[in-house]
Amino acid sequence: MQWNEDQKALRAAAAALGAVIGDGHLERDADASFSRDGWKRLCEAGLPGLPFEPEYGGLGQSLSTTMYVLEGLGHSCRDAGLNFSASTHLVSAGVPVQRFGSAELKRRFLPGIVDGSTIGAHAITEADGGSDVMGMRTTAVPDGEDAFVLNGSKAFVSNGPIADLIVVYARTGRPGNPAGLTAFLVERDTPGLTVGRPIAKMGLRSSPLCELFLDDVRVPRSQVIGSVGAGFLVLDHVMKWEILCSFVINVGEMQHRLEQCVSYARTRRQFGRHIGSYQSVSNLIVGMRIDVETSRKWLYDTAEKIVGRENAAVDVAISKLVVSEANVRSALTAIQIYGGHGYMAEVGLEKELRNAVAGTLYSGTTQIQQQRIAALMGLGRPAPARTEQGLE
Amino acid sequence: MSVATVIKQHIVSEYAPDTSVDELPSSYDLLDTGLVDSLALLGLITWVGERFGVPVDEVEISPDDFRSVDAILRFIEITKSA
Repeated sequence: MQWNEDQKALRAAAAALGAVIGDGHLERDADASFSRDGWKRLCEAGLPGLPFEPEYGGLGQSLSTTMYVLEGLGHSCRDAGLNFSASTHLVSAGVPVQRFGSAELKRRFLPGIVDGSTIGAHAITEADGGSDVMGMRTTAVPDGEDAFVLNGSKAFVSNGPIADLIVVYARTGRPGNPAGLTAFLVERDTPGLTVGRPIAKMGLRSSPLCELFLDDVRVPRSQVIGSVGAGFLVLDHVMKWEILCSFVINVGEMQHRLEQCVSYARTRRQFGRHIGSYQSVSNLIVGMRIDVETSRKWLYDTAEKIVGRENAAVDVAISKLVVSEANVRSALTAIQIYGGHGYMAEVGLEKELRNAVAGTLYSGTTQIQQQRIAALMGLGRPAPARTEQGLE
Repeated sequence: MSVATVIKQHIVSEYAPDTSVDELPSSYDLLDTGLVDSLALLGLITWVGERFGVPVDEVEISPDDFRSVDAILRFIEITKSA
């Protein structure tokens, strides 16, 4: 990709900021705390508004420019939890409102999302459902002409404990029917909505996560994103953005890790030689290089396809799988290269490994991506029911 | 060949290969019957966009617009005339 001076300047600003707001990342990982100060600085720099229309205070940047800047953040900011919270905020609420929201929804909510004063989250997964989104149990039932009443619970809500605005996906139709889901914008203080306590987790500890409980939560019909029944299409759009924006941050992190390992291998000496001069080490680093280049190419090529209105469904799934698995490999390899030092918390690599594992789970596990790719290839599709008179 | 027939041909070739075009009624509910599932719906939307020059990424869109061949015809007509 060729970037112009404006794009490079935006990225340089994000990179400079990332280096500052990453300070103290080991401590925040240890006590699982979100950096309010880091968030404030990200907002002051305009990062949450990157892809949104200037009319609402955004920077009006393209998808690929947004990704390029986020990659810069991933490269410089060692607080991967904060990075993850930033991308979650950007894609969970702002992206669906900008694409599907009514003029009123945009006017009411986009300015706060864009300047970061309203933190966004989305509630999709349920404890029993996992990746089976179409089978979700949370329901939304019409309450008169003007509202819906939501009941159910959601699990693994990233940003949940700090969110002001949550996009809740609920069933308004038959389970499994692509027209059976609807997306609702729900404000945190809505009666009946209970935000659970932050849940301890393996990685991304500085990005808080919780459960949500919805007991007769009345949401105005005007807060439906898109139309009733369009939730699956809203979700698909959001998932494309989530995968591209969240995982391009991982590419920045992988690039940083690679540079760290190259530097280490050229200074660390064993048996009178730099360890980089041993093929067993240099081959590991070459593998890291190939992984980061491959990951970057998949993500930006996929973004280009999406912008070009090509069918990128398979590409999105492959990108997600390739980058998330490469990130785990890269973190493991870095620890191996650093030896015993890499195993120590103070170096930060063991944290990066724990963080990387999350990427193979959220936005659809590696196995779900494989299943999705297979399905898009037409494998395993059941034969349609037919009779002698044709389809009934 | 009519637009309806082109759509039917695509649907039967992609999702019901053992069915002929004549066997697919224009009002047949593609979603409720499960003929077009969630993943297939995404493919169908993309195909309609490419085949008929509809900017599906920009217009208001709902799964109901793809519920049947009739619905798809209406969607194309409305979005092209907008």
